[in-house]
Amino acid sequence: MASVQPPVVRSSNAAGIDTVAAAGTVELRNVCKSYGEFVAVDDLSLCIQPGRIYGILGPNGAGKTSTLRMIIGITVPDSGTVSVFGEPFRRAHMDQFGYLPEERGLYKKMKVLEHLVLLAQLKGLSGAEAHKRALSWCERFELTAWTGKKVEELSKGMQQKVQFIGAILHDPKLIIMDEPFSGLDPASAVSLKDVLLELAKSGKTILLSTHRMDQAEKLCHSICLVNHGRAVLEGDLNQIKAGYGFCNVQIKYDGDARFLQEKRLVESFNDYGNYVEARLAPGADTQELLKLASAGARLSKFEVMEPSLEEIFIAAVSKPAVGKPAGSKPNA
Amino acid sequence: MRNTWLIIRREYLERVRTRSFLILTLLLPGIMTVVMILPAKLATVGNKAQHLVVVTSTPQFGEMVRQRFLEPAADADNEDEDNPDTNAAKKKSEQEYIIDVDSNPTEAERDVLRDKVSSKTIDGFIWLSDDAIASGKVTWTGRNMTYYSERTRLSETLNRIIQSQRLAKNGLSSADVDTLLKPIKVELVRMERGREAKGSGTGKLLEVVVMVMLLYMAVLLYGISVMRSVLEEKNSRIMEVLLSSASSTELMAGKLLGVGAVGLTQIVVWVVMASLFALPAMAVQPSFSDLQISPGVLVAFAAFFLLGYLLYSTLYAAIGAITTTEQEGQQLQFIVIIPLVLSVFMLAPVVRTPDAPAIVWMSMIPFFAPVVMYARIVVQTPPLWQIALSLLLLIGTIAGILVLCARIYRIGILIYGKRPNLPEILKWLKYAKA
Repeated sequence: MASVQPPVVRSSNAAGIDTVAAAGTVELRNVCKSYGEFVAVDDLSLCIQPGRIYGILGPNGAGKTSTLRMIIGITVPDSGTVSVFGEPFRRAHMDQFGYLPEERGLYKKMKVLEHLVLLAQLKGLSGAEAHKRALSWCERFELTAWTGKKVEELSKGMQQKVQFIGAILHDPKLIIMDEPFSGLDPASAVSLKDVLLELAKSGKTILLSTHRMDQAEKLCHSICLVNHGRAVLEGDLNQIKAGYGFCNVQIKYDGDARFLQEKRLVESFNDYGNYVEARLAPGADTQELLKLASAGARLSKFEVMEPSLEEIFIAAVSKPAVGKPAGSKPNA
Repeated sequence: MRNTWLIIRREYLERVRTRSFLILTLLLPGIMTVVMILPAKLATVGNKAQHLVVVTSTPQFGEMVRQRFLEPAADADNEDEDNPDTNAAKKKSEQEYIIDVDSNPTEAERDVLRDKVSSKTIDGFIWLSDDAIASGKVTWTGRNMTYYSERTRLSETLNRIIQSQRLAKNGLSSADVDTLLKPIKVELVRMERGREAKGSGTGKLLEVVVMVMLLYMAVLLYGISVMRSVLEEKNSRIMEVLLSSASSTELMAGKLLGVGAVGLTQIVVWVVMASLFALPAMAVQPSFSDLQISPGVLVAFAAFFLLGYLLYSTLYAAIGAITTTEQEGQQLQFIVIIPLVLSVFMLAPVVRTPDAPAIVWMSMIPFFAPVVMYARIVVQTPPLWQIALSLLLLIGTIAGILVLCARIYRIGILIYGKRPNLPEILKWLKYAKA
């Protein structure tokens, strides 16, 4: 569904960044953050375009949450700059943020509706307006029966829905969610995903962190892969995939397998007799291979396998030049 | 401002609405009343009237002793007022004692009475024969001779009877005797701003003690409440959500004022309840109505109580910010309590010498000021500049701690695990300036 936009350049070229800064909803430039000895975020730069779903991905402890906290202004970077909506971070921006923290936090003894109203009022909404919106969102998430109950009487999953509503009730321009899907049942996860997509369509910018690559792959337009506090890959997801060196093809065939010997097209292959997995040579055209194969053999399956984010991540991390993966060289 | 107000409202309503608040507010005065009245009641419940026999040489003298003994005590412990209601006191004495007169001072009778005491027919007898009086050796024989006050009372009563008898023998009229023997009372007069004020030193001390008690109670009950609520927020991570909406100073101020208002509500309810019950009692007990509290002192009371309460609550909040569990927090509590306890220890010197330089300086130190400066104002109004300086320092310190605390709070909240050591806290403070 993503309309492909030019990927954002990770670059230390100052001139380049200035052109990007005007467009980015959130922009981090060479941000570092450490807690004592521990370096949580190391020279991280990223840029989030308005109206897009942006994923910060990485294993546990990679620095995802630290990065989000700096964007929201809960913590301040040791060095580097964070700018939001095209200007340096200001307190006034806070009302335009909706934040779902990783570890959910609600007042246990407060009633659901009152809690939601409080959260929205803290973001500047009037009591009546907050009340109205909270009720309608609760309806959408099937919480209407629970609005008068105390938070502690709700199940974990329901609490999380409450927390989610609390994050978006004030209609923020920038929605920041730390692991939004953890702990949700599949049905709730789907409705949450739908809401996120709707919000993105209506022009909100959404930033989410997750350690589940498959989720991000389905939902995000752009991503930043972090590992040990450093960005491994950053930019438009399709571009990253396309730009990433390898492409695998699965072929089920009956007949002549000579097409596999075409070194110009096939870099390596794994033949199981009438089924083969081939890795294409860099720059090879899949259509050419299809023609060649179908000329000598009957094909029952020919599928181009895009590299999964997981594979890309593993490949990127295993490269020596961490942070400057050759494959993601964008068309700058 | 709006955020602070929202937080104040949340903290306040959240607590005032709970059942435990209602129970504590209504029940505590009841419990206090019971605790104060019960021991006194218990002491009298077990006491049957004591059955005493007075042995004298003549029935007339015996009857005289009996009358005098049943009269209310010319109190040794009531230092500065008449007992207004002698009838009530007399009744009380009549309930305490049954006194028989025996005018047969022989050794045989003495043995009979001894047996009666042993067999618990009577509780004791007083040997007041003329011989015994002449030799100055009067005895009170009984099973249980622990009552110091009763012995004192007996000897005073006997002294008076015998002195008046001796004086009468020397030809003085009974009116003269009464004048001669009239006890002398010392009345205390204290100068207050050039006027004589009646209130005694004890009354003044009471004003201070009431304030200290209230401050203590409020700090202990609600200071802990502030600490607990900071810890709860840290542990439930709600702080992260709140910090994405409001500044940590706003949050801290809101929390302190909100919880503070809860404590004040409770105290106001208590004071109103107490005065409803106490006013009728004060009408009959003139010693309490002596307690003319001047408006100035009331204002000082309100100001120093509120500021003291805020100061100590802020300290509790700081403890909540640097610890991770309630147990840890309670271990650190003593840091908060020590200045409060110290200022209570200083009360006696403050009341005695409110002008001593050490005490003047003490009353400027914010941690002691709520108690010490207030006590000075009550005892002898200090120069206005001293009061103003003390208040200013107090307010400044509260604001300063609040800001420091908000910083620790904000950083401490994002750090898990072990309690930070001092250098770490200092680092946070430096860091959190942004």
